[in-house]
Amino acid sequence: MSETYQQGEIEPITGKYVHAEIEGVDHRIYFEEAGPEDGIPLLCQHTAGNNCQEWRHLLTDDDITEEFRVIAHDLPYHGKSVPPTTQEWWKEDYTMTGKRFAETLVSIADALELEDPIYMGSSMGGNITLELADWYPDRFRALIGLECGAHSPGFYIDWLDHPEVNTTEVNAYSCWGLMAPQSPEAARRETMYLYEQGATGVFKGDLYYYSVDHDYRDKLDQVNADECPLYVVNGEYDYLTTPEDGRQTADGIGEGAIAVEMAEIGHFPMSEHPELFNAYVREILDHVTGEREEDLPDVLTPDHVGIELHPPAPAREKPAE
Amino acid sequence: MATETEFATHEWWESYKETVNSDPEMQVRGHDKFSENFYVEIGDERVLLEMDGGRIANLVPNPTLNHQWSFGVEGDREAWEEFVQETPPAFNHEIIASHYRSAVRNEDGHLMLTGNNKKIFQNLRAFQRTLDLMRVAHNNGGS
Repeated sequence: MSETYQQGEIEPITGKYVHAEIEGVDHRIYFEEAGPEDGIPLLCQHTAGNNCQEWRHLLTDDDITEEFRVIAHDLPYHGKSVPPTTQEWWKEDYTMTGKRFAETLVSIADALELEDPIYMGSSMGGNITLELADWYPDRFRALIGLECGAHSPGFYIDWLDHPEVNTTEVNAYSCWGLMAPQSPEAARRETMYLYEQGATGVFKGDLYYYSVDHDYRDKLDQVNADECPLYVVNGEYDYLTTPEDGRQTADGIGEGAIAVEMAEIGHFPMSEHPELFNAYVREILDHVTGEREEDLPDVLTPDHVGIELHPPAPAREKPAE
Repeated sequence: MATETEFATHEWWESYKETVNSDPEMQVRGHDKFSENFYVEIGDERVLLEMDGGRIANLVPNPTLNHQWSFGVEGDREAWEEFVQETPPAFNHEIIASHYRSAVRNEDGHLMLTGNNKKIFQNLRAFQRTLDLMRVAHNNGGS
């Protein structure tokens, strides 16, 4: 992974718009991509209230983009995907549901004519792998649910959309502790910065799906991981969907579902610690493609993938006596 | 990194106050408007932090009916000792994380927020940063 750039260097990411029909309405969807046109499509979904920039370090990872056509989109109302111009969307609260979310992802995959893509998403993007495997098991080659669980209650919080609260900052820093404290501070701060770009009510609207609408506790037998392999990959510091939640979800699904814990990382792995996450996800992707023959470990650690963690640097010097 | 001062002693609180009051982030992005008092309860010991403009104006041990506060954080000493570790263990590494495991998942051994939720969210980042600075003070400047 190259993260050092020279003056004038242009990153190998292109951004375009594609039109996709969702619930019968045309939507202008922004997406970024990198990698060969004939590479294995890897469709990447951002977290609630965020946008595709969370994936920028995967999009610039040569090791990944040599083989995979990495595509990261903005959901409608997020990032550069504006609300549908034919709808009076300002007259109702934005509310995401599992049905709408799953249809959106399939419509984007169809609009981009992706053949046998791998889907990967985090948080709400992780949870939706259960609906995708339930309703659309034929559409994807494999599903990678990062920070995924059968149920993730308690985060549909009224204060995240309230006129007497600074929701710009609160929508971000309510998520501060979802990241591992040992992840690089600059990357964690950038993740918060991305959160601060969200439109009013969108984060909370996404969390309606995440914490209310999504509940597979009694429906895991409907998840067709035997038809579409499903990886439930949760970070050690994710307090909303813990690695243990991931194991229970995979156990409940049964055949075709694999749980893997990512050590020393949290709920926004791709943006909070890109170097470590990209190394972890390479192991998962190699398992999807068959390049890796042995089973994945129950816990992936920095040692497994040859990443040396940077010890937490002092935030500041102690004031002089 | 070795801790120089035992956690939550008078000397520790004084060092912590100095850490908060000289922290640059407490004076930017509106955090210099953070003037809601809150208490920290460590086991049976409660300390009131009287905030004024993003700074700790006064530390009041064992506050009484004569004091006022908007919200507080409660937890046993073991949970707080985890919270202030330089690299704290998962779920006691940040206040919302710890509160979630208590309030939503009904687990023991974590911290719990009390008081006025609206004021907590109106001051969330400054309050959260103030608590995170306990870790900085405890580790002699560590993050």
